Amino acid sequence: MFLQQLINGITLGSTYALIALGYTMVYGIIQLINFAHGEVYMVGAFTGLIFVNMFGANIALAILGAMICCMLLGVLIERIAYRPLQGSSRLSALISAIGVSIFLSTLVVLIRGPQTTSYPQMFKIVLYQVGPAKISNLQILIMIISAILMIALHLIVQKTKVGKAMRACAQDQDAARLMGISVEKIISLTFALGSALAAAGGVLVGIYFNAVFPTMGMMAGMKAFSAAVLGGIGSIPGAVLGGLFLGIAEVFGVAYLSSSYRDAIAFSILILVLLIKPTGLLGKPIQKKV
Amino acid sequence: MQKLRKLVWISLLLMVVLVFTGCGQQGETSKQDEETIKIGTVGPLSGDTATYGVSTKNGVEIAIEEINNSGGINGKKITLIPQDSKGDQAEAANATQKLISQDNVSAIIGAVLSSETLAAAPIANDAGIPMISSSATAPGVPDVGPFIFRNCIADQVQAAQLAEYAVKELNLDKFAVLYTKNDYGEALKDTFVETLKSLDKEPLVVESYVDGDNDFSAQITKIAAQKPQAIYVGGYYTEAAKIAQQAKQKGLEVIFLGGDGFYSPKLLELGGDAVEGVIFTAGFYDKDPDENVQKFVAAYKAKFNEDPDMFAAQAYDAAMILIEAIKKAGTTDPAAIQAELAKTKDFPGITGKTSFTENGDAVKDILILKVENGAFKRIR
Repeated sequence: MFLQQLINGITLGSTYALIALGYTMVYGIIQLINFAHGEVYMVGAFTGLIFVNMFGANIALAILGAMICCMLLGVLIERIAYRPLQGSSRLSALISAIGVSIFLSTLVVLIRGPQTTSYPQMFKIVLYQVGPAKISNLQILIMIISAILMIALHLIVQKTKVGKAMRACAQDQDAARLMGISVEKIISLTFALGSALAAAGGVLVGIYFNAVFPTMGMMAGMKAFSAAVLGGIGSIPGAVLGGLFLGIAEVFGVAYLSSSYRDAIAFSILILVLLIKPTGLLGKPIQKKV
Repeated sequence: MQKLRKLVWISLLLMVVLVFTGCGQQGETSKQDEETIKIGTVGPLSGDTATYGVSTKNGVEIAIEEINNSGGINGKKITLIPQDSKGDQAEAANATQKLISQDNVSAIIGAVLSSETLAAAPIANDAGIPMISSSATAPGVPDVGPFIFRNCIADQVQAAQLAEYAVKELNLDKFAVLYTKNDYGEALKDTFVETLKSLDKEPLVVESYVDGDNDFSAQITKIAAQKPQAIYVGGYYTEAAKIAQQAKQKGLEVIFLGGDGFYSPKLLELGGDAVEGVIFTAGFYDKDPDENVQKFVAAYKAKFNEDPDMFAAQAYDAAMILIEAIKKAGTTDPAAIQAELAKTKDFPGITGKTSFTENGDAVKDILILKVENGAFKRIR
């Protein structure tokens, strides 16, 4: 049973990790907790559903379609809600983020109604025996897609020129600007990448749990935020680690303690990390710029 | 000095305006009071549990429309004042208070969730306003006071009858119980387990979840390890569908049993293949050939473009029982309505014949439905 629960935890954790990456990337560049990120994930789940329902798309097309739509949404959110506040206090941007979050979830309630919708069954579930545990092709698929996306992100950030520019902006925006980097473009790109990952997470969760609803972004966003803080906010490998850790901790909490503690576990971890190691597992100590 | 005089004038003007508009409004409402009968609803119209509240409000709306179209109650039209409780206990209490003290309603249909009803009912009872909940199935709801009624099947009754049916008719032996951690789920679980014990059976494993949860993998893995024949799910259809789906994904082949929270076309829509064979208790069946049932289903579909669920049907009946009581009372005096409500016996509604017990609980027929070939079928 231990192995089975571990598999459950890793599957859940990989979806958290996908969402947590967006939080961490945006924070790394503009030091903003993008509270609208959970809602981008929710919109991703819904657009994926639209692709499947309207165009009969397969899973790859649904994920790709949702990713592209949410990239645009992410860029749009940044343009409308954050860029005009550049230079004003960080609190204003944070409040703006909360506003966008509420706006998006109520907008979807208006358009689609509050009820839960399900994804149509896209392929037959096959179970594989791994020692004493069973793993389904869907779980394998979720882990593989998450892994591919995370590796792709790692390559973009570490090996490409834009990646280098992103890292430069994260270190020092003024210096980056002096080097001829268009900081605005890089910020847009960061939002686009983060939102695309959240959208992929949304579609995968929609298929795995077979349920999408307008308020799904709220809790998932909070969990992913905890995961990002746990891993060290601003750190990309940290977000992946934090997401997996949180998913596994939650599943084991339900399995060996009680289901009532599911959310309590996530947030107790958040509080503990903030108390004991505020920089998270892989975060660098924060240096205040003078 | 000039400034002060100006200020005095302005405040005088303001006072006059306030007094006049105040009067006007008061006159209007008292005029309206004479012409229409006001009925309020309290239930979640937004948030996670909105689907139950919206169905309830829609059911009441159909009933009121039907009566208004045929001339109203003794010539008076009924107006509906829906209030959003957001599924929250404090909001439900506030909404009830508002309906009573600001809107001067004659009676209230609500609240929808058991937890919020237990918070709202004492307010209505203390104010002496009749309140009929059409879905709060937790124990204790009708015991709040003489003004509180309910038109649904008590959790204890349905869980006990299903446990008996599963053991005696379906010859099942190994049970697991998975319930939602609220008044509804706890009551279903307690009664189901107690009834099993009275039949010399013991559930192999009892697990819980929280409403709105998405991931049931941990609970399902734990249950699967005990190899039960059936899982009794004490909860609502949204989670039930997800549980059935995820159990199937994990290769767990069992019979799912449940309560009236399962009854919704959404269960089939969300659950797909996974909910095939699910057996549950219900108070309403929309394919019932009964003329009134079909009339209601047609009206509901025409107005809201979807099939009515049990919440809508029981709310419709609750409204009809209330309207009947107001007709008989011949007045909108809450105490007179309460007296007539208490006398309700064998009311021929669309959810079966309904009578109220001494403390205001409904006595109704319990149906057992099964999902067969993607549709509900009555098996008892």
